[in-house]
Amino acid sequence: MNTRQILIYIGVIIFSIYFLFPLYILILVAFNSPKYTIFSLYPSLLLQAPTLSNLIIGLTQYNFVEPFLRSLGTATLVGVLSIALGIPAGLGLSRLSYKIAYPITLLLLITNMMPSISIAVPIAAEFIRAHLFNTIPGLALAQTLITLPLATFILEGTFSAIPLEIEYQARLDGASVFQALWRILIPMAAPGIVAAFLISWMFSWDEFTFAVILMPITPTLPVEIYYNITRGDMLAAVAFSLIFTIPVVVITLLLQKYLRGEYLAGGIKR
Amino acid sequence: MVNKRDLSYFLLALPAIVYVGYFAFYPAFKVIILSFWDPATSSFSLVNYKSLSYFNPGGAAINTIIISLGALFVQLLIALGVASILANEFRGKRAFSVITTYSLGIATVVSAIAFSLIFQPVGGYANTLLHLLGSKGIDWYSNYYLKVFVVDIADSWKNTPMMILILLSGMMSIPQEIYYAAAIDGANMLNRFIHITLPNLLPFIAIALIIRGVSEFNIFALPLILIGFHPPLLTTLVYELYSTGASVYLSYAAATILIGFISIFILLNILIGRRR
Repeated sequence: MNTRQILIYIGVIIFSIYFLFPLYILILVAFNSPKYTIFSLYPSLLLQAPTLSNLIIGLTQYNFVEPFLRSLGTATLVGVLSIALGIPAGLGLSRLSYKIAYPITLLLLITNMMPSISIAVPIAAEFIRAHLFNTIPGLALAQTLITLPLATFILEGTFSAIPLEIEYQARLDGASVFQALWRILIPMAAPGIVAAFLISWMFSWDEFTFAVILMPITPTLPVEIYYNITRGDMLAAVAFSLIFTIPVVVITLLLQKYLRGEYLAGGIKR
Repeated sequence: MVNKRDLSYFLLALPAIVYVGYFAFYPAFKVIILSFWDPATSSFSLVNYKSLSYFNPGGAAINTIIISLGALFVQLLIALGVASILANEFRGKRAFSVITTYSLGIATVVSAIAFSLIFQPVGGYANTLLHLLGSKGIDWYSNYYLKVFVVDIADSWKNTPMMILILLSGMMSIPQEIYYAAAIDGANMLNRFIHITLPNLLPFIAIALIIRGVSEFNIFALPLILIGFHPPLLTTLVYELYSTGASVYLSYAAATILIGFISIFILLNILIGRRR
């Protein structure tokens, strides 16, 4: 090994510890007897007394199922809304001339940067009047603000990759823009649509700011976990967190290809 | 002239435009207008901002800036390190790239829990590490700087991966030939990093800092869980004013200040986007 390789591996070890340590602690606290974790002055770094009782107590004695189902419903609705709005918008952006596409892109980028908390407060007032406050559809409508720009940029990229000739051919055969979209472009863009749906689903699953302001009474999982922490039910919070994280890990692995800087950064390439 | 073709594609984008207009721009506009509205006299005035001054919004703004700059600094440092490693070929590279990016997908609340387990006022795993090194445990929330440190470290854990991805795509865009030429001229690794990598990476660093900077300014769940309302940030101040029901108009005023700061980032982003 030369100096360069040695330096690389020293770096790999240090950074790996940094990124793995918090996850390790979370798992350790979940599966170790609390005597050795949260009730200890200097908690051990090793698994002293393996137990499943933390998880069992957390998931059975605390309100887990309902927040879980609410999160599931909200995230799915956000995924549907995001692709329902994002497919036409993505196609439109990929085909419009730059002069018209640029302001629309800008509008979505600004939406992406808008501070959630600043707009959540007035939306709450509006939702109370519209009977959408503390409802899943209401929360989903607000969270889609976070996911729509991303979904649109992903779909714009997908549609840009489909040759215009295919669309022209369909148009020559007498299909309207909308028919061409429905019958030809959507099936061809299926992988991008799935990715946009899953990423939107995942962002909603994790979302906290809109959730705590717009659905505080019967909350989604992230907010329920926050309530657990503020009540001091740390072990329940840890148990919830582990279950909560599993879908995200699965989706992240499925989406490796799409989790690239330029998408997450909201169209950095443009 | 707008032709028929453009019009039908514009119609496709219209639902999304109407949606963000109604759910993002209209509320933002409403917050700004109402923050200047005095409900007692039914007229426009600065009364909400005057009342807000008792809650030290300037301090909250400064805290937000300090936390953001600290987090950006930590993230940039780690991301530069990790990306320079990932730009090389070595055994175990795939595993290392998963290890350094997976935290991106971990929910903010979950990362907040992990770090509150690490940084407990009494006990906690950070104190275990200090103990192993022969030192006494410390209360990680005993002063302002330690609180900032805890939030910045926790935030960096979750958010550095995004910066790694952006910087790595920047490093991959630097032609290898330049490095070969420099190596032939006898430049060592550090010299190559300072004279080739950094200057070529600057535009990517700028983009990464702006994109991350916007998110840092909006940081909310993490400080709320780790340090609560003290020291206040702009976001936690808005939430505190809103949830304690002091006056919704005060939270509008604080929310407007936050929008003002974010507008600076939005302008920067547009200007840089134009140049590219």
